[in-house]
Amino acid sequence: MTFRVLDPTAGETATTGQRAPRLATLEGKTVGFISNGKVGTKGFFAHLEKILREEYGVAKVVSRTKSNYSAPADAHIVAEIKQWDAVVSGIGD
Amino acid sequence: MLLVEVLVQHLASRVYQADSVSAVQELYHSNGWTDGLPIVPPTEDAVRACLDWVMMPPDQLIGVEPVRGLAITAEKLAINAVMAGCLPMHFPVVVTAWTAMMQEPFLLHGATASTGGCAILVVINGPIRREIGASGTFNALGNSDRATSVIGRAIRLCLINLLEARPGAIDRSTLGHPGKFSFCVAEDEEDTSWKSLSEQRGLPREASAVTVMAAGAPRQIMNEWTTRPEEILETFAADIRANLRHYSIHPGNYAMIIPKQLREHLQNARWSKSDIADFIWKRARIKRGEWAEVGKGAVVRDKADKVYPALESVDHLLVVAAGGPAGGFGAVIPPWLGNRSRAVTLPIGACVDCEPPKK
Repeated sequence: MTFRVLDPTAGETATTGQRAPRLATLEGKTVGFISNGKVGTKGFFAHLEKILREEYGVAKVVSRTKSNYSAPADAHIVAEIKQWDAVVSGIGD
Repeated sequence: MLLVEVLVQHLASRVYQADSVSAVQELYHSNGWTDGLPIVPPTEDAVRACLDWVMMPPDQLIGVEPVRGLAITAEKLAINAVMAGCLPMHFPVVVTAWTAMMQEPFLLHGATASTGGCAILVVINGPIRREIGASGTFNALGNSDRATSVIGRAIRLCLINLLEARPGAIDRSTLGHPGKFSFCVAEDEEDTSWKSLSEQRGLPREASAVTVMAAGAPRQIMNEWTTRPEEILETFAADIRANLRHYSIHPGNYAMIIPKQLREHLQNARWSKSDIADFIWKRARIKRGEWAEVGKGAVVRDKADKVYPALESVDHLLVVAAGGPAGGFGAVIPPWLGNRSRAVTLPIGACVDCEPPKK
């Protein structure tokens, strides 16, 4: 007996946004960090900032922390993103 | 002769062919589409029967998952419900539970992705319980009956397949708990003088309803040695205090499952669910300094005397009458992460607060 059965997954779903164009260089750019606020993010972002500044010539790093680590970033943080050239959204535990 | 043309909308899902029941099982297991247990083959006929029962076309939008913007359709819920073992009559509960889970205050993405490892507790109220044979008596939090078992399982399979909440993928739970297979309970409304949970939360008693809560594992308590409400409830309050000390200090929705033996003592003394919530509100609270007694002194800081109640307000306690007739037991079901996620109650197949259509 042959069973004809259905795919239970969401499959190909349309994305609600578009990727920003990739940067050719980080030299002189502003990079935003969005942390979920857990303790594990502190060392990670501190180290990442050092690498970005010293090895990639990033001009400015802006650090922001979500008010609820299990929810999306607060609206005021999202509004700020357009002033940055790149974003690193990090989850730590 | 009158020809009636029935327009049947095509299902959108991809179709797979398998030569045997065991081939179906291997297809679904190998793709990561199950919870590890065998599934019922989701054939088009079975899926259509679920959709017909709720009178929804396959592409009916049940909701949009708020964080990732994923559209959840009736067809996809039905496929997973069939896999879980649901009959068409169970499907309205699955649809309403998912509608509730996608309300923003529920914080579905956080609740299903978190290392905290909660499950979705589903409480069923109203006439539908009897129609589908959902039992709120013996073994209420376990495998009490077919209906609650398969409905709870359907919730999880939908999470796995529609939100990719697979262990190690979106689901980052450190431990999880057994409720992640199925976590559904029907309130024993016939054997209590209390308001039902959904009535307590503002719905008409005659409406069938579903309440969902992002929940930790049940913590069983026992007190068979008193009939006094204050003493019975002190045992519950002590367990909630233990949770505040050992797990999380955040206030949130706590559920209390009260089986018949303890329930009768409370009812005989004319304590309502609101009276119980008032008592728990007062007694279930700790000082932050108590964390030093359980190895968490590092986070007490200068707030040792600050008081942390388990409930943000009295209406955050979900009291459910359920459990077998004998035994001085009860259970506390703690919230996943305090008030970050809020329990949501919705009526099934009805719109209680709808505005009348505009002329």
